[in-house]
Amino acid sequence: MYAEAGKKGAMNKPTVNSLSQPGPCRREFLRRASLAAAAVLAPMPQLLYAQAPSGQADSGQGPKSSDAVGETASPDYRLQIAEIDWELAPRKNVRTTAYNGQIPGTLLRLTEGQPVSIEIVNRLNRPEIVHWHGQWIAPAVDGSMEEGAPMIPPGATTRIAFTPHPSGLHWYHTHAMAHRDLKHGLYSGQFGVLLVDPPSNPARYDQEQFLVLHDWEPYYAASDDGSLMVNYVCGSINGRMLGHDAPIQVREGQQVLFHILNASATQVHKLSLPGHSFQVLALDGRPVPSRARVETIRLGPAERASVLVAMNSPGVWILGETNSAFRSAGMGTVIEYAGRAGKPVWTAPASPHWDYRVFGDAVPVVRKPDLTLPLVFTSRFQGHGALDRWMINGKSYPDTAPILLKEGLRHRLIFDNRSMDDHPVHLHRHSFELVSIRGAVLSGVHKDVVIVEAGTVVEADLVANNPGNTLFHCHQQDHMDSGFMALFQYA
Amino acid sequence: MKLTLLAVLLLAAAIPAARAQGNYEIQVYGAETVAPRSTMVELHSNFTADGQRRTIDGVAPTYHAEHETLEITQGINDWSEVGFYVFTSEQSGLGPQWVGDHIRPRVRVPEKWRWPVGVSLSTEVGYQRALFSPDTWTWEIRPIVDKTAGRWYFAVNSALERTWHGPDVNLGLGFSPAAKISYDFTKRITGGFEYYADYGSITSIATLHNQQQQLFPAIDLNLSPKWEINFGVGIGPTAATDHWIVKGIIGRRFDWGRHNKGQ
Repeated sequence: MYAEAGKKGAMNKPTVNSLSQPGPCRREFLRRASLAAAAVLAPMPQLLYAQAPSGQADSGQGPKSSDAVGETASPDYRLQIAEIDWELAPRKNVRTTAYNGQIPGTLLRLTEGQPVSIEIVNRLNRPEIVHWHGQWIAPAVDGSMEEGAPMIPPGATTRIAFTPHPSGLHWYHTHAMAHRDLKHGLYSGQFGVLLVDPPSNPARYDQEQFLVLHDWEPYYAASDDGSLMVNYVCGSINGRMLGHDAPIQVREGQQVLFHILNASATQVHKLSLPGHSFQVLALDGRPVPSRARVETIRLGPAERASVLVAMNSPGVWILGETNSAFRSAGMGTVIEYAGRAGKPVWTAPASPHWDYRVFGDAVPVVRKPDLTLPLVFTSRFQGHGALDRWMINGKSYPDTAPILLKEGLRHRLIFDNRSMDDHPVHLHRHSFELVSIRGAVLSGVHKDVVIVEAGTVVEADLVANNPGNTLFHCHQQDHMDSGFMALFQYA
Repeated sequence: MKLTLLAVLLLAAAIPAARAQGNYEIQVYGAETVAPRSTMVELHSNFTADGQRRTIDGVAPTYHAEHETLEITQGINDWSEVGFYVFTSEQSGLGPQWVGDHIRPRVRVPEKWRWPVGVSLSTEVGYQRALFSPDTWTWEIRPIVDKTAGRWYFAVNSALERTWHGPDVNLGLGFSPAAKISYDFTKRITGGFEYYADYGSITSIATLHNQQQQLFPAIDLNLSPKWEINFGVGIGPTAATDHWIVKGIIGRRFDWGRHNKGQ
């Protein structure tokens, strides 16, 4: 699927269970074919990412009338959840679950404002649920049972319909709990890219590539701070370990747009491409006011970045994890210039630093909130051989009371992380605007996931304008499984 | 890697073993090894409050002896480490004395194999002066199994010992098991019991009177990821055992590179 833009034919190499290959429905097939044709035939640079007016808060438009479980003659897309054997590298297979028999799942490329229907078939022997991460849609179709969306029973088929909004790089993934079973939830291969094209976009690029990061073969290990943590044997980009996928072919002078998604269950990743810089266009699908160039992209679980890279340093390079342990375990891919050959080169970035603030307004806009909501993150020790219990404001889900929002008001969420872990916290069905990190103000950076580092405070403004149950949680699978969730409700 | 590690484990298991370190290093080993690119430096301080009072066969008494042991362990990879010991003793009439040195390679089943229990195997070889141990060259092999379950921790060390040079050279394999059970009262305070014994030769188990048996109520303080602190008081009820020993371990880990945790 991704080969349409990336010419990475090796994406189709892995063997899959024949039961897990339903094939795309006709409309999807036509869409793929037209995209592939556009990539091959269009001589002009393509366009993407309109710049949002700087400093604006989220419009947070409510769900369209079509945001409901709907029945039409035939769905626009079909997703089948089933077990597969997936080849990460020669002689390195994993048995996992995935969408449409591939990892990542089928690329869903939608158009903002154009309703879509998706049929989901659950071939597993356990209930499943698919979350449309980053979409401002109704709770009934958002894909979170905590919000009231139904689980898909084993063997059942369901159909959902919604109107994609907002545009940008988003994703879909399982929202099932894993608890102590490291084959379920986001430890599995149930994730895929959801790209929502805007009605118009002025950014120029010559080639578009999708990079989806994931970690495999999780196991529990003792952490430095005495609690259990999840480690992984290997990692992959687009389902293949470094050195075992076809290189991404580029030409000198090209502008390549990379859509990067960290689909790891728990692990923060930093990526770098030696000899090149990343111009950040959008974070979590939302355009940033300052398109700063950085050497390193840091993405927590569920974070996304759309970045432009000027291909002006011919050679064969590794685009990979800055941490050598992760890189040698597979987290990387190869960028190969036309006419160049040889062993891929890696050099560590001079500046691995990452700071959300550099992407904000040059002069931060300070706004006064209508309400403040302190959210204090703590943990309760359960023994060196057990996962910590996580709490928000002293309560661990589901033993919590809903946090009330008032429609139309600007709520200042104060993420006060008093634990020893970093937390990529995520808000469903909305995005928020970062307003301060460690006391330093910023504006214009809208996200739906933000990493709150250990012992720090991050403040973000949420304009409550998408009524309905809204889940807030840490996107580390082991943390959300251990109570790090809260339900927001509109008063 | 699995085959290599299994080969090392099997090879080590085939090697005969020897005598342990008496009360110079009093510790039940866990299965975990020091991480690669890390060095653990530990100081073992043991004071024998009530022990052997007379010189026997040229070996100095242990009564009121203060033993200080420096242990430096370097992590090699995620399944092996090498430890090095410097044993010293200070007691009335002798003053500070160098006792001997040991080297201790250790391999483990990596966590990524996801075994239900931790398993490792250490082998230790070294020299100690005849003034402090009649057996001057010894060899030990120590299978280690441990398990953490919630707040509980269990470890068993089934050490086999062999003398290379000294009066016990013809004794064959000696059996010196050790075990630990502990409970995490808080994230920082763990308390439990440690048991150490020397049953003599495996082909001729000593009488209870001649066995070494020690029980240590002990606490571990987990104040920081970089520090290891252990303290205990040992009771030796048999005639062949030092009756009261106070032991302490303080360790500091030094990291020389980045690790997965926290990046």
